[in-house]
Amino acid sequence: MLEVEGLEASYGSFRVLSGVTLEVRPGEIVALLGPNGAGKTTLIRCIAGLLRPRAGAMRWEGWPLGQAKAHTVVERGVAVVPEGRRLFGSMSVEENLALGAFAPRARRGEASRLEGVYAIFPVLRERRRQLVRALSGGQQQMVAIGRALMADPRLLVLDEPSLGLAPRLVESIFGVLREINRGGVSILLVEQNVHAALALAHRGYILEAGRVAAEGQGSVLLNDAHVRRAYLGPLAR
Amino acid sequence: MTAFVQQMVLGLLIGGLYGLAAAGLSLVFGVLKVLNVAHGQLIMLGGYGAFWLGALAGFDPFAALTLVIPGALAFGAVLYWTLFAWVVRASEETRVKNSLLIGFGLALALDALAVRLWTADERSITTSYAGAVASVGGIAIPLVRLASLVLAGALIGGVHLLLLRTRWGRAIRATAEDWEAALLTGIDVRRAYLLAFAIGTALAGAAGTLVSVGYSVSPSIGLEWTLKALVVVVLAGLGSMPGTFVGGLVLGLAEAAAAWGFGGPYREMVGLVLFFVVLVARPQGLFAR
Amino acid sequence: MTRPRGLALGVVVVAALAAVPRVARTDAELNFLFLVLLSTTLAQSWNIVAGYAGQVNLGHAAFFGLGALTTRTLWIGGTPVLLAMGAGALVATAFALLIGVVAFRLRGAYFAIGTLALGEILRITVGNLLAEISTLPAATIASYRLADRYYLALALAVATLGVVGALGRSRAGLGMQAIREDEEAAEASGVNALGLKLLALALSTALAGLAGGLFAYYHISYYPSHPFGPHWTFDALLITFVGGVGTLHGPVLGAIFYVLLKEYLAVRWVDFHLLIFGALFIGIVLLLPGGLVEAAARLRALAGRRAP
Repeated sequence: MLEVEGLEASYGSFRVLSGVTLEVRPGEIVALLGPNGAGKTTLIRCIAGLLRPRAGAMRWEGWPLGQAKAHTVVERGVAVVPEGRRLFGSMSVEENLALGAFAPRARRGEASRLEGVYAIFPVLRERRRQLVRALSGGQQQMVAIGRALMADPRLLVLDEPSLGLAPRLVESIFGVLREINRGGVSILLVEQNVHAALALAHRGYILEAGRVAAEGQGSVLLNDAHVRRAYLGPLAR
Repeated sequence: MTAFVQQMVLGLLIGGLYGLAAAGLSLVFGVLKVLNVAHGQLIMLGGYGAFWLGALAGFDPFAALTLVIPGALAFGAVLYWTLFAWVVRASEETRVKNSLLIGFGLALALDALAVRLWTADERSITTSYAGAVASVGGIAIPLVRLASLVLAGALIGGVHLLLLRTRWGRAIRATAEDWEAALLTGIDVRRAYLLAFAIGTALAGAAGTLVSVGYSVSPSIGLEWTLKALVVVVLAGLGSMPGTFVGGLVLGLAEAAAAWGFGGPYREMVGLVLFFVVLVARPQGLFAR
Repeated sequence: MTRPRGLALGVVVVAALAAVPRVARTDAELNFLFLVLLSTTLAQSWNIVAGYAGQVNLGHAAFFGLGALTTRTLWIGGTPVLLAMGAGALVATAFALLIGVVAFRLRGAYFAIGTLALGEILRITVGNLLAEISTLPAATIASYRLADRYYLALALAVATLGVVGALGRSRAGLGMQAIREDEEAAEASGVNALGLKLLALALSTALAGLAGGLFAYYHISYYPSHPFGPHWTFDALLITFVGGVGTLHGPVLGAIFYVLLKEYLAVRWVDFHLLIFGALFIGIVLLLPGGLVEAAARLRALAGRRAP
């Protein structure tokens, strides 16, 4: 269970998060939505251990996250697929996936987990020796998710996985996420693609200007007038 | 003609050591984004270490490598913990500036220490086989220097394989490419830094030992070798151990050609001029990845 | 301290220093003070580019050397020494501007090692072309007056401090400091980074060239490549940082401390001062970037707090 309470974070003197409270319960898929600049990625960086919050608390399975170093967060069972994927382009698919299992907790069963990733994303098995920078955007996203899965996480955090991907690919990746969740992994999903995200998620939060502006069940938020107007645009009925 | 080839062969032989000297610097700069301008002093210490082992314990310099390398590894770890661990806390731009300054202070302190411990005289290790020379078609190839070239290549090859095949080797490469992503993958980036720095120091120490047996060491070679290493790193670019080795050979050959064409004193200039020209000709940064 | 008090103190110090040749019994005091003044000038000149514009120039000795070379050549050839020194400064500055335009395209570390390489290229070239020692003609040696050199050194040091002081308060100086803090941000707010960096370089190298001229005027004999040696750069670096980079009195404090240490310890342990300064330097970069000036300010603050 991930708990975030009153989180405040800044870059220098520039305040980004002004008191965020949310949670991800075991087995849930939670969507985190909102406009650009709302602080979604900043929140992810705090959870991942890349940014120290200025105030507030974060707990994962009861364990305080605020002062933790990023690589120990992985060791605790939280794996992050960052915005823009951040793969190691000069290394092969297989090397990237192997690095995903770097943390000590992940080394047990590494081989079988690798097989599992190839089972989910068969195209990666074909291209496993290729350098990652030679892959398409969609394939790279698969490597990024696969790399996170190699860490044997109990919480998978994804920052805008659908960015730059064709709708069919997004559908298939979200289908994969649903499967992963059914396997017992909680998911925190930051997304621009509101429709797909809320359709997938059990619950959602809307972040605006560094604060939680709305929260609720996925389907409820999807039908909420404010949400529809702000994020689903003229296409929403 | 024979004299020219002789010069080039000698240039190639020392070029291998240039490559080895640069490899350590390249590794540290590539991974930590830190420019240790005291690198030449580490080479100097490696040379003096071998000299001491020879003078005090009768160690053959090539055998002394088995002690110098682990010693340098340990020394590198200590240097990292006491100095450079602080430097890497800053952002990348500040890091480079601070590492320049810290490295500079370190270089000065080490130079002064060396003068104190060993005096300003030049030292060289002479062995019973020092004069052994192979003669191939009228070209004399000093065997000690040949062995050094081979060893330099082997050491670089070894590190290359380490980086390619081992778990921590991969972690080091990942850290060099994107340290935040490395952290997200569960890699303890500071330990990767430590390893890279220690290995870099070990390579420098080994280079120093080989320099002391084939050539000579004195407290003043620090700056000289730092510059040589910098030139090779600029020529070869970052990110490839074998590339750095080849860069060293190229520098050695270029120097030999310059000495042949313009006379001995201009040997040093070639590298520096090349260095400056390459630096300036690629203003987008030294290394295009 | 406030500006009027600082100025008053400065005048007193300069007056005292000016009186030394009349009061001193041996040449030793004059030589010692000369060294302090020369070091102050050289360090302050380096401070302009490093402390104010934020660029670490590791080839400073090149300009010191060029000033020395030009001055020596012209002066021995018959030119009045002040003119020769002026020419030396011009040569140094011309060379600096030439490579500055090129070198400043490099950022940070690349500028530093690029200038280092440049300095070494000059040193090796001069060393190869002018390998013989340069000695003053007998007539000049006979009419050598240390006091002349001393007063010139004093004047140059005061002038340098004046330039740096004025720079610190000028618009150009503020622009330079903005560049030092964050070059990209400064450019975004309309600061002409290249222009200001070149200005800093020009001022810095002109003063270094003058210092080199002073060196040529002072020494009876030396190897022409000697003033091009990297240790002149390193001395300037050490002094400036230990004293307090980017401040006005930092290099002065540093120079006094440095020359004292060097001359005092030279008897027992040659180069020991380098070991100490090297260690001090590291400590300062890591812990107390403001150098001795910052240390003094902190002590004063502490003392102020303790007083009732």
